[in-house]
Amino acid sequence: MRRLVVDANPLVLLLVGFAAVVASLAVRDLRTGVIALTAYAVAGAVLLPSLRFALLRFVAVGVASVSVVWSTWLLGGHDAELALTAGLRIVVLALPGAVLAAFLDPSRLADQMGQRLHVPARFVVAFAAALQRFSALREVWVQLDRARRARGFGPTRNPVSLARHGGALAFAMLVAALRDAGRMSAAMDARGFADARTRTWAEPAPWTRADSGLLALGLFLALVPWLVR
Amino acid sequence: MTADATTVRRGSARLEGFGWRPLGRRVPVVRDLDLTVEPGERVLLAGPSGAGKSTVLRALAGVLGSAGSGDAYGEVHVAGRIGLLMQNPADAVVAERIGRDVAFGLENAGVAREEIWRRVRLALEAVRLPYAVDHPTAALSGGEQQRLALAGVLASDADLLLLDEPTSMLDAPNADGVRRCVLEAVARTGATLVVVEHRIGPWLSHVDRVVVLDADGVVVRDTDPVTFAADPVALAEQGVWMPGVAAPVPLEPPAGLVAPSGGGVPVVAEALHVDLRRSSMRGTTVTPALRGVDVELVPGALTVLTGPSGAGKSTLVAALAGLVAPTSGIVSGLGGGRAPHRMRSRDLARRVGWVPQNPEHGFVTTHARDEVAATGARTGVTVDAAAVLAHLGLGDHAAANPYRLSGGEQRRLATAAALAHRPPVLLLDEPTVGQDRLTWAAVVGWVRAAADAGAAVGIATHDPDLVALADRVVALQAGEVLR
Repeated sequence: MRRLVVDANPLVLLLVGFAAVVASLAVRDLRTGVIALTAYAVAGAVLLPSLRFALLRFVAVGVASVSVVWSTWLLGGHDAELALTAGLRIVVLALPGAVLAAFLDPSRLADQMGQRLHVPARFVVAFAAALQRFSALREVWVQLDRARRARGFGPTRNPVSLARHGGALAFAMLVAALRDAGRMSAAMDARGFADARTRTWAEPAPWTRADSGLLALGLFLALVPWLVR
Repeated sequence: MTADATTVRRGSARLEGFGWRPLGRRVPVVRDLDLTVEPGERVLLAGPSGAGKSTVLRALAGVLGSAGSGDAYGEVHVAGRIGLLMQNPADAVVAERIGRDVAFGLENAGVAREEIWRRVRLALEAVRLPYAVDHPTAALSGGEQQRLALAGVLASDADLLLLDEPTSMLDAPNADGVRRCVLEAVARTGATLVVVEHRIGPWLSHVDRVVVLDADGVVVRDTDPVTFAADPVALAEQGVWMPGVAAPVPLEPPAGLVAPSGGGVPVVAEALHVDLRRSSMRGTTVTPALRGVDVELVPGALTVLTGPSGAGKSTLVAALAGLVAPTSGIVSGLGGGRAPHRMRSRDLARRVGWVPQNPEHGFVTTHARDEVAATGARTGVTVDAAAVLAHLGLGDHAAANPYRLSGGEQRRLATAAALAHRPPVLLLDEPTVGQDRLTWAAVVGWVRAAADAGAAVGIATHDPDLVALADRVVALQAGEVLR
């Protein structure tokens, strides 16, 4: 069971993630919100190989959710239930996609988009190559942070200084990513990417029964809040 | 810029009146260059740092504009399929599994699926990568990544192999492995070879022709290897690493540029353990990088950290510099009554000069001159930026954007930026990569003079000439100090 999500068709993961948007539209009161989130949580507990990172993503989504709760409470006449519902809606909207996105295998996603959906190969392949570099950004961030700290440009404990440091690092990372992309595109063009006319695909883009099953489950989960409304 | 197959034969390349001026630079890196390479020829392209060697290769590969904009003029004719190996093999990785990465060029060429996998397997075999096709590319070492890039080139049946310092970032055994695979492949396929390298010694007996560019990007030698090697001294004086010529004498800057502003301090690591964590949705992997390391950097001494890639050299340098928190064990000596990784950034900068492995990651300004002065301004130390740049051969680039410099120039600038404020502790990661004899002497002279003036110097390196100048050698292997 726990391989199901890891081996899943990337298109199914995307569809299940987007279906959560439909689910969130049905979250109009606290009860449906709790039921919808519980349904997703149970599915996650059964299907995900590790819950630790799902919880980390939950924290990230939670920050967004809390800010919505706060502003709704402030502007919505201090109605706690209304505010919590709005917060829950955000969690239901974003969490499934945020968790599943981490399981996308860039090459397999490109295979599916190129061969099944017939998206232009040039776009798809460049997209996959970029996606594949995404995980390297963390290491770049660490190196940039170290370099700035060693040169006296690190932050102090002051929150303003921390925020400015974060901004400077984010900008530096953008520059590093662009430089990296330039070098990578040189490497790709040198391997015939620039003038590829009729491209082939090294691997097929299969759709298995497990994929259909997972998609059905994802659609069902999206319908849960509509059914209990 | 044309790739014309009718006037030139497969595997040949010709540059006519070629020039290139990167955006934001006043003078071209290369100008009026004429160079013809015949099919099957093996050419070694040498020259000082910043001579435009990489530019020539990129022009031949047809990717001049991809990595940065600028003005090109003249004509480039190349016939046949190109294979390009770059200095940093990580730049060339396009997929997360090795089979798919090798297949990339074949997919672009429209090869059928069964044929793709047949050729991928042959290519992986040819470069001796003993892994399954679904092995993750992220799990490869630098040497293995370079062989993977070579496999990609071989699978596509390249007629013209262009190698841009393919072994400069590798330790000796990995460099040998990559070189052997390249030479075997060229012997088997008869492909044309153009290789750019600073340490030309190991290539010399395997090439037919040596072309040397001078600092202005002009051809100053174009001859066979025997004639070339017969006159080593003149070229060595221009900066070419001639085999058989003794390592250059370090060029020491005036003591005022390097003498520690505060006086020397030792740095001591005791029972230092560092675990590196890599986390993703698919799980967390914890790799021990350092396992119980005891090491002391003594003021007034140059200590080198050696060992194969993956031995933990970079991690140790970063930990000693207070940039990595120990998992257990102690790093002490930088003062301030705190563990170095808890020190405030400015206090740390006053004590330590550290250069990241990728020099671009350290840049914080947009002019070379400002880059050198930045940390001094931050820590209240007056820096003579012009003198620092002049010593490291960057005097002409004071106003240049750090990102527009060549690889070797960037590394020197990063070193200058980290050390110009005369910290008492110097911690450097491979500072001599991509340097010619002259710039090597300037960089090594700097760290030697700093040590002689009382600084504690620790350098991670696989450069034997630098190791020969060290006072103490700490050999690392799999995260432990060899005794």
